[in-house]
Amino acid sequence: MRHLLLGNEAIAYGALSAGVAVAAGYPGTPSSEIIETLEEYKDRFVEWATNEKTAVEMAYGAALAGARALAAMKHVGLNVAADPLHSAAYTGVVGGFLIVTADDPNMWSSQNEQDSRWYGLQSYIPVLEPSEPQEAFKMAKEGLLLSESLEHPVMLRSVTRLSHVRAPVDVEPPAPPKFGKFSRNMEKYVLVPQNARARRADLLKKWERIADIAARFISVEGDGPVTVVTSGVGYLYAVEAVERLRVKATIIKASMSVPLPRKILDLIRGDAVVVEEGDPVVETQLRILGVRTRGKLDGFFPRMGELSLRSVIEGVSKALNLGVKLPEPPRPPLQPPPRPPYFCPGCPHMGTFYALKLAAAGHNVVWSGDIGCYTLGINTGQQDLATHMGSSVGLGMGIAVADKEKLVIATIGDSTFYHAALPQLVDLKTKRIPMVVVIMDNEYTAMTGGQPSPSKLIPAEKLAEAVGLKHYAMDPADLKKSIEVAKKAIADAKSGEPVVVVSRRPCILEAYRTARRSGVRPPKYYVVADKCKACGICYNVLRCYAITRLPDGKAWIDPSLCNGCSMCAQVCPYDAIKTEDPERARKWLELWSRA
Amino acid sequence: MVTSIVVVGVGGQGVMTLARWIGRAALAAGYDVKIAEVHGLSQRGGSVEVHVRFGERVYGPVVSEADADYVAALEALEALRAFKYIKEGGVLVVNKRIIQIPGRYVDPEQVYAALSSYARTRFIPAFDIAVKLGDPIYENSVIFGFMARMLGLDGYVDWLDARNLKAFEEGRKLASS
Ligand SMILES: Cc1ncc(C[n+]2csc(CCOP(=O)(O)OP(=O)(O)O)c2C)c(N)n1
Repeated sequence: MRHLLLGNEAIAYGALSAGVAVAAGYPGTPSSEIIETLEEYKDRFVEWATNEKTAVEMAYGAALAGARALAAMKHVGLNVAADPLHSAAYTGVVGGFLIVTADDPNMWSSQNEQDSRWYGLQSYIPVLEPSEPQEAFKMAKEGLLLSESLEHPVMLRSVTRLSHVRAPVDVEPPAPPKFGKFSRNMEKYVLVPQNARARRADLLKKWERIADIAARFISVEGDGPVTVVTSGVGYLYAVEAVERLRVKATIIKASMSVPLPRKILDLIRGDAVVVEEGDPVVETQLRILGVRTRGKLDGFFPRMGELSLRSVIEGVSKALNLGVKLPEPPRPPLQPPPRPPYFCPGCPHMGTFYALKLAAAGHNVVWSGDIGCYTLGINTGQQDLATHMGSSVGLGMGIAVADKEKLVIATIGDSTFYHAALPQLVDLKTKRIPMVVVIMDNEYTAMTGGQPSPSKLIPAEKLAEAVGLKHYAMDPADLKKSIEVAKKAIADAKSGEPVVVVSRRPCILEAYRTARRSGVRPPKYYVVADKCKACGICYNVLRCYAITRLPDGKAWIDPSLCNGCSMCAQVCPYDAIKTEDPERARKWLELWSRA
Repeated sequence: MVTSIVVVGVGGQGVMTLARWIGRAALAAGYDVKIAEVHGLSQRGGSVEVHVRFGERVYGPVVSEADADYVAALEALEALRAFKYIKEGGVLVVNKRIIQIPGRYVDPEQVYAALSSYARTRFIPAFDIAVKLGDPIYENSVIFGFMARMLGLDGYVDWLDARNLKAFEEGRKLASS
């Protein structure tokens, strides 16, 4: 029976059927379900690493020891792991080593649109590019085995429209895990310059061999006069576009898109239309091989965002001068207001930001932000920057030394803190940079679906303590106390001392799951209309998503959205927000803190 | 022939589940299927949009603007937002419900009137039906029943559990009448 599987699930099953024994990753949309799927298999070592570098190192080390290993991450994660990645190509491996990266064209959940395939060219690692889930299964399996036979790492590049596409997939059962034995090979594995030079020479030779092998990954459909070169999901759109346009074409699919084999030249007649997702990586290689191309380099297809059937039909039409005009998209009879994402009602980050905002009133604050659910602090103007994981503390330190007038408040989630900010903590102390670092510890990696975070095992305050930094604890569901704590921390920073605040309360979604399991129904809060004076503090300053401003300015709490956090009742100056059963509300706060 | 459907709503309404149900019924009916989901940031109370395509052989996973045979909206403001996907003659199925956006109150009647201006809009009181059945979470099952009937897939849902099936039947009846 074929099952509807996500591309990510298919990748995991492919690796399983190749006998993967060690798999490591760091969560990141659209890649997370690969490790989540593998986690179910207890006969192998599968882990969420603290960041992508340690994930790649874990898998690389295992592959050096002869195991079949996989590392999975989103595209930007590969930047974090770039150092060991490049070394892996120099040393080679013994067991199969497959690096899976999921790119995010159109930036559905990312800060940039980088194309991982460049890393293949840069590091001399071949890149496989499946186009749909069934092929992802096959290539994950083949890729791992190919890596082992080449004794060289192999990358598998996915994109959002593969990782998060569900389609029927036939899977084969998992093969037993292949662990290994480490054998010494100092000349290969110790990259002192003398050894590294020999490895470099070897690598260049190997790369030529790999380019020949890439020819095996080329398939051809049709034999029309128009040549269309495709890779990855670009292939899918190209087939459909050519069909709709009734163009007689030869469609060449390069499933190993890095490196492109010289043999591809034998298949190309005249100019080549190139359809690929992301940057013009295939097209650039074709140009180097001397092919005249019509792709993204000259603007036949958009350089931004992801491909669509529409943009590919229009691009092919432009490239072939067909003059096809597609119908304009219908305009809505009424323009709806935008619906940006908000903190979930009861999100502890909402309480932390509220407390920080009130405590920092009157100060000239730079809200040094970061990547995670708490980036939604933009909704209350409390993120002045958020560029990459670790930006809050890292860039915050730079701002603090450059502009001494400002008070820097860095806000960072727990998973992000362990991922990216431990070295910064050391710099904060050794350079004594006066700023407030707020670790928003919801005990999960919430943004990417609630994966575990190290915070339960290694509380952040212990690390602050070890480094010798002054630190405070706060519970964001207790707003009055939180404001007091935040005021103290701000006073410390103003007096020249770096200070850490750990604001701890579990993610409300996890709390809700716990409640459902234990049969507890969280309380609901409601507005007593007579008492509400329409001041707007609950919906403007606290900004709970469950609270709506009615036409007369009064507040209304949507009972289907309220999560019973009590924060609105705490901020209401008129005591107009109530709950039916205060005892139940108290118990809920208690259960929640243990979720 | 490929049928293209865009399913939209607000994070938490079960948009993804509805899309997967449609896909599963289509698979059971013997079709090739692709469901394009978006995970991550889009789920935090924001707009959610999932594309479903089924047919003998489905290539591209994403539905283009002006190319959807159906738009199924679990919420009326999201129906407006997805309007651009409807192809000429396409059907817009709307759950008669508005989830207000904080600080951006809109008059529901104005929204419904705007949606009615399109000749092939079908309003379904899925939220009200679900509440009558005991829980608003069944609203997506009601819409599923309606859609499944329209798509000729209502004979391929024997895997649906009893409580959802009840809501499904309500939706299916609306499509038959
Ligand atoms: C290098 C890199 N890896 C992964 C991601 C994906 N990602 C975005 S935020 C985040 C962590 C969020 O967890 P946390 O810091 O605990 O904050 P929360 O969402 O729980 O509030 C991750 C893994 C990324 N943006 N960049």
